Amino acid sequence: MKKRIVILLTVVMSLMLTACTGGDGDGESKSVSDGSKTETLKVYNAGEYVDTDVLRQFEEEYNCKIIYDTFESNEVMYTKISSGESYDIIIPSDYMIERLIKEDLVMPVDWSLITNKEGLMPEVMDLEFDPGNTYSVPYFWGTVGILYDTTVVAEADLADGWNLLMNEKYAGDLYMYDSERDSFMVALKSLGYSMNTDNKDEIQEAFDWLVNQKSVMSPIYAGDDVIDNMISGNKSIAVVYSGDAAYIMTENEDLDYLAPEEGTNVWYDGMVITNDCKNIDLAHKFMDFMLREDVALANTEAVGYTSPVASAFEKMKTTTFAGISAYVPDTTNPNNEIFRYQEQEIKELFAELWTKVKAQ
Amino acid sequence: MKHFKHLTKPYIVWSFVFVVIPLLLIALYAFTTGGNSVKILDFTLRNFVKFLEPTYISVFLKSIKLGLTTTSICLIMGYPLAYFISKFNDKAQDLLILGVTIPMWINLLLRTYAWLNLLADNGIINNLLSIFGISPITMMYTDFSVTLGMVCNFLPLMIIPIHTSLRKMDNSLIEAAYDLGANRIQTFRRIVLKLSMPGVLNGIIMVFLMSISTFVIPKLLGGGQYLLIGNLIESQFISVGDWNFGSAISLLLAIIILISMRLMKKIDPQDE
Amino acid sequence: MKKLYIVFCFIFFYLPILITMIFSFNSSKSLTHFTGFSLRWYQELINNKEIVSAVSVSVTIAILATIISTILGTITAIGLSKSRKFLKEYLLNVNNVPILNPEIVTAIGLMILFSSISIDKGYLTMLLAHICFCTPYVITSVYPKVRSLDPNLANAAMDLGATPVQALFKVILPLLRPGIFAGALLAFTMSFDDFVISYFVTGNGVKNISIIVYNMTKRTNPTINALSTIVIVVIIFILLIVNIVPILRKSKERKYEG
Repeated sequence: MKKRIVILLTVVMSLMLTACTGGDGDGESKSVSDGSKTETLKVYNAGEYVDTDVLRQFEEEYNCKIIYDTFESNEVMYTKISSGESYDIIIPSDYMIERLIKEDLVMPVDWSLITNKEGLMPEVMDLEFDPGNTYSVPYFWGTVGILYDTTVVAEADLADGWNLLMNEKYAGDLYMYDSERDSFMVALKSLGYSMNTDNKDEIQEAFDWLVNQKSVMSPIYAGDDVIDNMISGNKSIAVVYSGDAAYIMTENEDLDYLAPEEGTNVWYDGMVITNDCKNIDLAHKFMDFMLREDVALANTEAVGYTSPVASAFEKMKTTTFAGISAYVPDTTNPNNEIFRYQEQEIKELFAELWTKVKAQ
Repeated sequence: MKHFKHLTKPYIVWSFVFVVIPLLLIALYAFTTGGNSVKILDFTLRNFVKFLEPTYISVFLKSIKLGLTTTSICLIMGYPLAYFISKFNDKAQDLLILGVTIPMWINLLLRTYAWLNLLADNGIINNLLSIFGISPITMMYTDFSVTLGMVCNFLPLMIIPIHTSLRKMDNSLIEAAYDLGANRIQTFRRIVLKLSMPGVLNGIIMVFLMSISTFVIPKLLGGGQYLLIGNLIESQFISVGDWNFGSAISLLLAIIILISMRLMKKIDPQDE
Repeated sequence: MKKLYIVFCFIFFYLPILITMIFSFNSSKSLTHFTGFSLRWYQELINNKEIVSAVSVSVTIAILATIISTILGTITAIGLSKSRKFLKEYLLNVNNVPILNPEIVTAIGLMILFSSISIDKGYLTMLLAHICFCTPYVITSVYPKVRSLDPNLANAAMDLGATPVQALFKVILPLLRPGIFAGALLAFTMSFDDFVISYFVTGNGVKNISIIVYNMTKRTNPTINALSTIVIVVIIFILLIVNIVPILRKSKERKYEG
């Protein structure tokens, strides 16, 4: 008897739930057999990197469904792609785009279908990682820097640049980014080396720097959770992407952003179409949509990252993110570098060393 | 009657495909270095040798240490609770055990997330402390938060087998001991404790083995720098992409656990 | 004294759950200050298609996996009792593997399997994986019950004219009911609660509750509190019914007898 009650209850509940969602649980296959929704687009993007309303808007305007997945880092994305997962559009960073191009995983963009291309700023176009933007359409760009609490961190200490992150005064009070390239970048730049080095001695020195930092400073290796934590003021210092810094600074006025003189990483993220893409036309429509003035504006305002669309950039610079240096990437410092492709051996070395840093 | 034995056929096939083959595949990956697409069967012990590096051994030891700590705390907290519950009448015991079991039914992620809020630097506990004038304590992303999350999660697993053992115990044995002149401590040590041993062992094994292989709780409550074996395996498969090394560690972990289970079964021959 | 300790332990278990439930009704985003009563997070929950879809995935997979694994497990347990020793040994040992193996090892194994046969990861793979780890629990619940049955029952039924199928359904299965029920309940819990295995074998944007919460924990999200509260309430409700109804019925029976 009680078995029947339980079964009845669960069956009733699941029927109600499936009725509510319209049997959505199945994702792709359901919508195809369904017939009413036409196409799906699988998008793989970094976490906390889009205004979800914009995605809904696209679904409505083009009568399609977006299957949206997020990754914590370019490396996670790459591993997933290598294991057989297929997406239509991916939004990786410069060096990863370079890798995808080299490994023949992406197809050229048909720029004639991108009607909003005139809105793009020339600064973000035709860069070394994708000459002529054959394969990628700019999405966001920025720098990496130190977000700090002006009421806690002394002005004088800021002159240390990246070595602020080794200052014992702030031990236990900082976040490092849980990303191998970004953390090694901090160490390499602090030691005066290039972030794209493949010199094993320099890499070893950077490794030692990070291990030393872990024991002296006890940093917390964070990802997107750094955002709300810094807004709440849980710690005083964090290594963050400029966009997160800009967003955080609009919510917490005690914070400021520093891109150290020793040089930092200037990065450019772009949308690429994979060779597995089932619906190339829809993919182009999506990329074009993201460059549309109103969409780009909404997107950049929601997440704080610098838009590659000139009109959106200018507007945000003077309104929402006025006075926030993080929103305007400084490309003049000659010490700044863009990440470049790493040979497989070096990539594996970095991955292994980063695991070891965390395992200390 | 003979017909019935054919009923096992579906599961024979199923278990071979979904249990045996995956294990063989893990072993295959563990002993090769071809990467995700094992094209060249190049057998090597390289992955296992890699694990012997001091950094990885320390990850292993850290996991064992956490497992031991969690198990001990669960035992110290759990045994008295199981014992006290067993002193109530039947109906009350049923209800109390139900109360202990309910959290286990609630999704692990949801339960762990609840702790995230409580322990945050500006979370409720710290707010309460500040009312009393105590400065905020950093609780998140520490050994404390991870251990707390683990204990909270695994305590029911320790309590239930111990309680089952205690409940099954014949109370007349205790009365007999008193009649024969034993005091409470002697009775407890010689009779109660001994008879509840199967349950205790069961609980210890379960909690220990599950806590050394966990990865969700350390990741959420410990942060990126809290690397245990489970996290190490996860990172190899998810971000580093070295499936061979990840498989080797998985294989080692599986073997260690299987051996431990066998050993435990030898010590306690009673079948649950 | 003992009671104090029991209370303390229960506070330890339920405090996070209680706080979650209370703050699910908080009118502001804060997770520390209760600013007022509001249902806004429940509103947002219902409007959040992703979460609702994830709940549907969790529930439907749990139900399907439970049904399939219960059937598979039960017939295997029955067949096991009549099998030769060699087969019995093999099956029982293999059956133990998913239970004893750390979840992450099972998850990795299945991920590699699905990867090798180039099957598209998604709902189907998640379902297969869930059946894979649920069935052993059913077998370990049902098999002891099977062993305690009189081995000649089925024979007796067939001597009286029943076909093997009838003997199965009308004689054996009803006697195994408590074991089957316990196994099914266990299977449902394991499936509904699962994170690790689902995390590794899913794809195509198919997510269950655990995965969604895992992704959402990066940002402060009171909607999760609302989700937790609903899940908690439903589970407690089901458990209470399952456990209290028999108690109530027993006391009713006693009233009749009295």
